[in-house]
Amino acid sequence: MRDHLNTIRKDPLLLVLWLALICFAVIWIAPFAFIVFTSLKGNGEIMSTGPFALPTELRPDNYDVAWNRGGFSRSFFNSVFVSAVKVPLGIALSAIAAYALAKMPGRFNRLVFLLIVFGTMIPFQVMLAPIFTLVNKMGLVDSYAGLILPYLAFGVPFQVFILHSFFRGVPKELSEAALIDGAGHFTIFRRIFLPISLPILAALFILDFVATWNEFAMALVIMQDQSKWTLPLGLMSFQGQFSNEYGQLNAAIVITVLPAVLVYLIFQRYFVSGLAAGAVKG
Amino acid sequence: MSALFRKMEDRPWLFLAPAVIVYAVFALWPMVDVTIVSFQKWNGLDANRQFVGLANYQYIFLQDPVFWTAFINTVIWTFLSLIFPPAIGLALAIGLNREIAGRSALRAVFYLPVIIAPIAVATMWRWMYDPFFGLFAQTLTEWGLPVPDFLGQKDTALYYVFVAYVWQQVGFSMVLFLAGLQSVDRSLVEAAQIDGAGRWKIFRHVTVPAIMPTITIVLVLSLIHSLKAFDIVYGLTGGGPAQSTQMLALWAFSQSMKAFDFGRGGAVSVVLLVITVAIVIPYLRWSMSREVHE
Repeated sequence: MRDHLNTIRKDPLLLVLWLALICFAVIWIAPFAFIVFTSLKGNGEIMSTGPFALPTELRPDNYDVAWNRGGFSRSFFNSVFVSAVKVPLGIALSAIAAYALAKMPGRFNRLVFLLIVFGTMIPFQVMLAPIFTLVNKMGLVDSYAGLILPYLAFGVPFQVFILHSFFRGVPKELSEAALIDGAGHFTIFRRIFLPISLPILAALFILDFVATWNEFAMALVIMQDQSKWTLPLGLMSFQGQFSNEYGQLNAAIVITVLPAVLVYLIFQRYFVSGLAAGAVKG
Repeated sequence: MSALFRKMEDRPWLFLAPAVIVYAVFALWPMVDVTIVSFQKWNGLDANRQFVGLANYQYIFLQDPVFWTAFINTVIWTFLSLIFPPAIGLALAIGLNREIAGRSALRAVFYLPVIIAPIAVATMWRWMYDPFFGLFAQTLTEWGLPVPDFLGQKDTALYYVFVAYVWQQVGFSMVLFLAGLQSVDRSLVEAAQIDGAGRWKIFRHVTVPAIMPTITIVLVLSLIHSLKAFDIVYGLTGGGPAQSTQMLALWAFSQSMKAFDFGRGGAVSVVLLVITVAIVIPYLRWSMSREVHE
């Protein structure tokens, strides 16, 4: 604290800057406060009190009612299941492919790498209909596999790209010594490369979890049966049906958003380093 | 199992196969298929897809008024996305790049909206824009100001949707700029200070050149990201009122999945895809050449 005071004394402009940042942060956080407050109020109170008035009579039952009315136990489970399968599987596929591209000589490595890098930039929002057509032809509409497979396809490029640039930076000596000792590539990958890339894997894991948890458009197209909805679909439908139940609607928002927020707050460090690694190096 | 692993040894294609197959089938093929279907008439169900040449393109370019609304909205949206989130993000990053109290908490606050589902952002802002009890309506009423019909006015709805988008996106630019600012040479800044250069001069001649690559990255990512705006528009207005907030990605989806005209939807997709690729390819060439130089 004394350090901070010293720098401020040296540079009074810093105080102005700091106050400006605080004001801005208050504006930025205000929507969250508004949502949480509303989620704990009854409709009568919402209509009669100011937006940032603390709830006088707490209504935690909003959460209960929203959970049941919106069928959130089903969609919560679906979201957890899809993320739990997709995220580790996707990272495993990407890691092993990135290793091959970086460390195993192959004739088509360059071509495959270029194709994959191209994919990091292509938005699937553009191709929802043909993806639906394909999944439908395979008979996978309304199935977990039908959603997870396209998720994997659009997650692979970024992850391969990041891991490839990391693996390439690993000194040759490390793997060559093992190769001479008779270890195969798979062993080297598992015993040497995986352990040293744990921090970057963690970053990818968290980024991918949040992306999967939040995904809406693809799920909208593929999961048409309510029993297969993920949370974002559940929330959207809740908004359509109960838009006048303000307290419950906001409780539903909190339910949807909270897991990603918690993961972010707990693993913040990895988030920022992961993003920075991906963007600034690339 | 171990026999399988032994077989995998020294066969790179076995390592690559799972990722490449999934990627080729579910990401590359749809890109090809959407191009094919854009030259066909198809309702998504019939067994045969009838070839119609350029009819779908002719229709969307010449007869479909919504296509041009969506096109212009996408251009406006993209243009604004290149200005506001990056500019605010850069300002915040410069502020947060100093040793100030509560720096990491502030950074977390600005980044928080980024990790929230866009569809939840849409739901949140739809409630905040509620013309009677929403955050803005109540605040404006308290101040004795008139309450506009935020999302119900044809001329302005798009901009109100965009405000929600800015709120969500700023943190993303900010984090990238914060990382980029690490590459500014401290000793160069100090040397400039000793030479008596003012803040603006230092920013202009030391900071900006150093973060030029980051600026490019942020602008390209913002651009790509803005082209695929879907969830937030879908959730806030669904393209209305009277198609006034329609966007290309959403229009392609609506034509195919709601109107069951996969041909026309495909044509809209191809337009968007061509624009995206026209931006992506030069960018990738640039970033690959950077990698080689490093």
